[in-house]
Order: sequence, then C-alpha cells, then structure tokens
Amino acid sequence: MPLSVSLSIEGDTTVIELTGELDAKTAPEFHQTIEKAAGHGTSTVEIRMAGVGYMASAGLRSLVFAQQKVADHVTIKVVGAIEPVSRTIRTAGLDRSIILTDE
Amino acid sequence: MVELARKPCVLEVPATVGALGDIAAFVLRLAGRAGLGKRATYRIRLAVDELATNIVMHGYRGGDGRITVRGCSGPDGVRIVIEDTAPAFDPVAGRLPPAAGVPPQRRRVGGLGIHLALTSVDAYHYARRDSRNISTLTVKAEGTDPCPPRP
Repeated sequence: MPLSVSLSIEGDTTVIELTGELDAKTAPEFHQTIEKAAGHGTSTVEIRMAGVGYMASAGLRSLVFAQQKVADHVTIKVVGAIEPVSRTIRTAGLDRSIILTDE
Repeated sequence: MVELARKPCVLEVPATVGALGDIAAFVLRLAGRAGLGKRATYRIRLAVDELATNIVMHGYRGGDGRITVRGCSGPDGVRIVIEDTAPAFDPVAGRLPPAAGVPPQRRRVGGLGIHLALTSVDAYHYARRDSRNISTLTVKAEGTDPCPPRP
C-alpha cells in the first residue's frame, strides 16, 4: 500500500499527516517532507500516524532524522499511532525524546 | 512445537526494494491461511520485511541477487525460511540493540531493523549452507506465546 503524506501549518505547529504503509520503499517521501517541515521554524512538529497500518525500521530512521533536523527546542509529537507502530517506536527507545500521544 | 503443512509455498524475487511488497503479500497470505491474529500477523510481516530489506540494502549492496522465501502455515502458526546468496551474514551477530540513552543527534539506527525482526518472532535460526544465508523464522498463532523472546 502506498504512503500518502500531507504537510500543513496550524498556528505554531507544523503538521505532517501520514496514511498508508511506512517501509523502505515509501519512507523517502516522508524523509523529504520532514526536511520541508524542519524549515518552517515552528515550535512543534506533529506527525499524525493514525492512518499508518504498518511501519518498518525505515520509519524509525525517518523519526530519528526528524529529531536531528529540527532545532533543539522543537517538540516532535507522534499522534494516534496504532499499537504495533507505537510498540516499534518504544522498542527503539524513541519515546524518550518524541512525545507519543493518542490524540 | 509448531505443526505445519509439509509442502511449503515458495516465492523467488529479485533482491530489490520494489520486490519487498511481493514478499509482504506472500507472508500476509500465509498468515491468513494459518488464521493468525492481527498481532501475530504484524510480527511475522515485520520480521520478514526487515530481514529481506537488510538483504537488499546490505547483503547484495545494490548488486544483482535473488531472495527465496519459503513458507509453511498450519493451525499453530507460520514458519518462513528466507534464503540469499549474498556474503555470509548472521543477523544475531549483526543485531544492534537500541541505544535508548544516546541523544537523537548522535544516535545510530543501523541494525535496529534486525533487532526488530529478532524480537518480533517466537523462534529464529540462522545457518550458512552451500554459500547461502538461511534464516528460519517462526511465529505461533496468537495466544500460544504472548511474549516473544528477547534474543
């Protein structure tokens, strides 16, 4: 299943919304969007993942890339990830630096 | 012991990123045939995907190669065997547990996929035979073992 990525700004938050599957084939598109989002200079980057039914380690690499790309004071949130996806994020220990929320 | 059908299903694909979808579809079909629950299906898909991705990206290093996937399914679970002819690589030795205490700016993510794969299955075995890497993964049907091992 392909990945659909959208980018918008809501106040001081840059919102990335993902739908589909995040794997080695589709992650480069997410990567490109993260680069754009990092350039917006908002204080929060919110990644909405409720529509992501599958995420491989390529998605983890994108999240690490996001952390490395934004300024230190920028908060990264992952919102609405299904249980296996949030488990993958926790397994990698990324929940220590990324805020994981249901909504 | 997982009881499985004797005759395996076989898929052979070129070692390319584009073929990973075919491998995923193959695994999902087997999982469906075995009646695996959602969690077990996700786990076996993730494990096979990560190992196959590793073969494409690092095993053949962009060169030509093939990946053979054999699968058996039964009422107790699914067993998948992945074979390639890339240089010898034992995923257990190449696994890199996440360095949760390392700041994201300095974090390495290589090896995490293998860690995910090995922690997603109920059993894993690697062998090097006839110049082939052979990985065997087993995921039991949901409920038989809710806590996968942490190799």
